[in-house]
Amino acid sequence: MTSVFDPELILYTTAIGLITIGLAGVVMSSHLFRMVLALVIAEAGANLMLVLAGYRWDAVAPILTSLSEPAAMVDPVPQALVLTAIVIGVGIQALAVSLLIRIRQRYATLDRKEAAERMDSEIAASMGAARDVSQDAPLGERPLPPIPADQVNMRGGDAP
Amino acid sequence: MGNLTGLLFAGGLGFMLLTLAGGLDFGTPPMLVGSEIQAHAPQQTGAVNIVTSVVLGYRAIDTLGELSILFAAAVSAGLILGRRHTTAGTQTKGGFILYTGGSLLFPLMMTIGFYIIFHGHLTPGGGFQGGVILAAAFFLPLLARPGARLHHKTLSLIEGFAGASFILVGLLAMMEGKAFLQPLLVQDTLGQLISAGTLPLLYLAVGLKVGAELASLLSRLIQTEAPQ
Amino acid sequence: MNAYLVLTIALPLLGAFLLPILMRSSIAIALWSGPAILIYGCWTIADIWLQGSTQPISIAIGGFAPPLGINLYIDSLALLFAFAVQLLGLIFWPFTLDQDSARRQSLMLLLVAASTGLALSGDLFNLYVFYELAAVATFGLASASGSSAAYVATLRYLILSGIGSVLTLFGIALIYSKTGTLNLAHLAQLAPAQLNDELGLTAFLSILIGIGVKAELFPVNTWVPEIYATASTRLSAFLAGLLSKLALLIILRLLLLIFHQPEAAQVLLILGILGVVSGELAAWRAKELRRMLAFSSIGQLGVMFIAMALPDGAGVLAVLALAIHHLIIKSGLFMLAEDWGGAIQRLRGSAKMAPLGAALFVLFSLSLVGMPPLPGFWAKFTLITELAGQSEPLYLIGLAVFLLATVIEASYLFRVAAILYQDAPRETLDHEIPKNEGLSLVTATLFGAGLIAAAVMIAPVGDSLNTIAVQVQDIDLYISTVNPGGSQ
Repeated sequence: MTSVFDPELILYTTAIGLITIGLAGVVMSSHLFRMVLALVIAEAGANLMLVLAGYRWDAVAPILTSLSEPAAMVDPVPQALVLTAIVIGVGIQALAVSLLIRIRQRYATLDRKEAAERMDSEIAASMGAARDVSQDAPLGERPLPPIPADQVNMRGGDAP
Repeated sequence: MGNLTGLLFAGGLGFMLLTLAGGLDFGTPPMLVGSEIQAHAPQQTGAVNIVTSVVLGYRAIDTLGELSILFAAAVSAGLILGRRHTTAGTQTKGGFILYTGGSLLFPLMMTIGFYIIFHGHLTPGGGFQGGVILAAAFFLPLLARPGARLHHKTLSLIEGFAGASFILVGLLAMMEGKAFLQPLLVQDTLGQLISAGTLPLLYLAVGLKVGAELASLLSRLIQTEAPQ
Repeated sequence: MNAYLVLTIALPLLGAFLLPILMRSSIAIALWSGPAILIYGCWTIADIWLQGSTQPISIAIGGFAPPLGINLYIDSLALLFAFAVQLLGLIFWPFTLDQDSARRQSLMLLLVAASTGLALSGDLFNLYVFYELAAVATFGLASASGSSAAYVATLRYLILSGIGSVLTLFGIALIYSKTGTLNLAHLAQLAPAQLNDELGLTAFLSILIGIGVKAELFPVNTWVPEIYATASTRLSAFLAGLLSKLALLIILRLLLLIFHQPEAAQVLLILGILGVVSGELAAWRAKELRRMLAFSSIGQLGVMFIAMALPDGAGVLAVLALAIHHLIIKSGLFMLAEDWGGAIQRLRGSAKMAPLGAALFVLFSLSLVGMPPLPGFWAKFTLITELAGQSEPLYLIGLAVFLLATVIEASYLFRVAAILYQDAPRETLDHEIPKNEGLSLVTATLFGAGLIAAAVMIAPVGDSLNTIAVQVQDIDLYISTVNPGGSQ
């Protein structure tokens, strides 16, 4: 830790900075879509951290160019791991977005507090109420409640 | 106020982690496993691209796991968004330039996608990267012409069979008396297009699966938008 | 023969990929292929178990000797849990037939494959991959009920679990930067020299919080009541009964093999105590059976974390006993709760309508509280003796909290039991009283029978658990079995 402008420190700062920015964003944002975006940022930081684990000075990409005298190559394992981690992240993000679409359709809001409150009251209703609101009712499509026109563009309607 | 404490906390955490990371030897990794793999990979897997030999050889089951994650995400998205598609008639068409451009790019992107998949064991790239390009090739016309629709049945056929063939190649090795997912080496020359035994086959399966999975995910997302 | 064990992961994945296609051509074949795969898995594992060799084995996937490749490490504990995964996957199989059957069964197969992988894998990053696969399959199954509340609950769970995976990945990156390997046996070799510092501790804490999301660890368990209230009871039973134990198992392995710092154990102890206190108090206040079970499982897992924090692996036997006991009890209780939804007060008179269900509830409650002839007593007794033997004040606080929690547990469980045996209010009609019947009652009875069998054969069960615990603690055995770097 000599100077802030050390190249290694800049790289680590970027990685850890992305992670902390992302985590702080998840905790502090009040909009569900922004929470998902913050998660994406944090994931990018973790992936960068992983790829830094295999970096070597003065080394080339791990692809053999001449068999007789192989050059010094960076560690191939973290690169493979990051490839895996990125694809995992993409899958989870797509799933999150499809959940967001459905929540937006049902509740006409993506405000974090509002969605949580409505979920809580829905759970409470299903618990106190009669048997006919069974949790294990036949699964599948249920009709969407119409979104009142005046609510569509209210709070949390679209990303700011 | 809560935000301020949150920021302070995050900053403190970041600083602490940074001090820790500063203690790592950057640029001179231990490479215990890495250097061993570099030394043995060309003989054991026949691939010149060592990342490929890690992804499809040494850590093939990780790759199988991540294909399954993508599949699980696509299936879950299907469960959540359902099968009903909104009629896209109300949506505005893209302009002539967009539409023609999309059609023109389609064959080019297909070619590049497959090129990258088939050269995965030789050059940077491979199934994932190529698969994403394939998905983009199918997705571009969809953006230009919102009324168009992907054939979900075909996509799910490709999804299923590509994933299954990855496992079947692994089981084939078992039937030959080797370990699950062990690369079957055909004696060939290192660095040729047709080399590295079963690895290109695995990458083809990966590429098709990733392409089909992403295309179906994206088209599902675009089709369930706007329920008016 | 042992090499076929990898099929218990590969075949469910194959089945999951092909099910949606099969379902289109022949529903009959598709419906039976999932259970058939799971039965085959049970048979394969039981076959290895019956061969009688207790020596652990290591299977190198792809034929690459560890640490270069990924290996499966199979000892008695791993086999036991792999068997439990396949069996419970079969018991909680989503049989319902509708337009989404193929998807739900696919996801269930993926969940089973991932859980089996969690039980068997011997590689840190591979564990992470299987962990994420289990998480994604869970998201899909949890949101399958289609209610708006389920979507919000799943998204909140997804975000929390996403934070967990970022932290886990960060921990893995730290470990790889320092040691250059991911194989658990190799790490166990290197850990005393390289990971015995703040860096190792940070890595452990990151991974602990990350994996702890599924293990219902104290600060990251807010998803538990929400998911268990909105998802189907069968999924809740699988998650609370099995998946949480698998996450616990991974943390146990990491703690025993790699992270020996006393601070690591202390953090576990404190988080465990907080989990017990918060979980049991919330369960005491709960007015609905499923919510009560959800909070009580947070408390129970807290107890296991306390046991895990005992120094020098003294608590391993207690952890195993508590975990397996809780697996049986919670699965059974959740199956009973399937038909007993709604406010607890509505259950008055249920004992008359469903005497078997009520009797099972009392049996499970007694064992959970720790009534002497039942297995729960022995599990708790093991922990108490170990805790009482410690001199550090923090462990004694843990003991006090544990005993207090038992009292609270007894109070709320017997409150429910009392309601079950009360007379129904006069104006209630018979058919309004919820009663257990059909498949869920049969399943609960199965778990009850298992519990009684364990109570009868407590001596051999205890002995074999002890053998397993000793084997798990033997780090040298783990290293020499995998033999990282020895066969170059």
